[in-house]
Amino acid sequence: MDRSETASAALAGLRGAAGVPMLLTAGGMAGFGALAHDTGFSGWQAVLATVAVWALPAQVVAAEMYAAGADLLAIAIAAALTSMRFFPMAVALLPGFGRPPGGMAGRLLQAHLMSATSWAFMMRPAVPTAPRPRLAYHSGFTLGCISVAAAATLAGYHGAAGLPGPLALGLLFLNAAFFMVLLADSRSRQALLAVALGAVLCVPIHAVLPEASLVLSGVAGGSIAFALGDRWRRRQ
Amino acid sequence: MTDALAVVLVAVAATFVWRALGAVLVGRVDPDGAVVRWFALTSYALLAALVVRLLILPTGSLGQLPLWIRLGAMAATLAVWWLSRRSVLPAVLAGTLCIVAAAVVLADG
Repeated sequence: MDRSETASAALAGLRGAAGVPMLLTAGGMAGFGALAHDTGFSGWQAVLATVAVWALPAQVVAAEMYAAGADLLAIAIAAALTSMRFFPMAVALLPGFGRPPGGMAGRLLQAHLMSATSWAFMMRPAVPTAPRPRLAYHSGFTLGCISVAAAATLAGYHGAAGLPGPLALGLLFLNAAFFMVLLADSRSRQALLAVALGAVLCVPIHAVLPEASLVLSGVAGGSIAFALGDRWRRRQ
Repeated sequence: MTDALAVVLVAVAATFVWRALGAVLVGRVDPDGAVVRWFALTSYALLAALVVRLLILPTGSLGQLPLWIRLGAMAATLAVWWLSRRSVLPAVLAGTLCIVAAAVVLADG
């Protein structure tokens, strides 16, 4: 494995990200930037959130709950519940890189750069399968996306501040639109049940306990769907 | 009032802990186990609740628009997503255009 081969795999990763993955990332992160402005973050705090959290749901949950006046523990629990998906994703993705340079630090870096978009992309057959080129491809892909995301966050932040009112409201709508489509795309009946329960339970719970409504609706909806789904599964 | 920087750092820690756990436990856990499935369903339900909070019970500027417009934009997003055979970009654009157009009309009227 020579250096030019690694470089060309990294470039291929960057080219793979250019297009739909970067557009989706930019749209979502511009929406987050607008929300961050609306809720009182500073511009650099919004960009820090994008680069260091690098998980749109956790970022939006944190900004939304901050605006609602929730305390740090509630925000931590809600963010952790939305980010749990990275655990099975990392378990499935990282072995393909073999032993990355830098040992555990290198492995943690790749786990941080990974996103739902990059993860799905890495499962495609066009991506190299040998460990070193695969690692280089993933690095090129994700570093490209995270750079675009940082710029889009700042653009959304300043867009919300400076654009005419209607356009700023359009930016604010982006997050919810992306999440709706993501949720509608869940293929299993059990996941759709969890989605429906979470949405329906949120309204009454919010009326009583506004600060905890995200976590409570999530845990209640998820647990009911889990219990019912396992019963379905057993009957089949 | 909680400090915004502390909120960002809490979100960083709450996300990184899962990535790190995955990196440490590679090869030693079953990614399809019951605990992982419960967490996945819970995060779906939580995201659905988040959409409801963002659009139906908004705390910020989106609350300036009447509820029926927000619901209409949600319906437009999902309808275009369905009609375009599950493509994300046209769906998101359609819903966003609804919001922008409604806000323009309301501002003029």
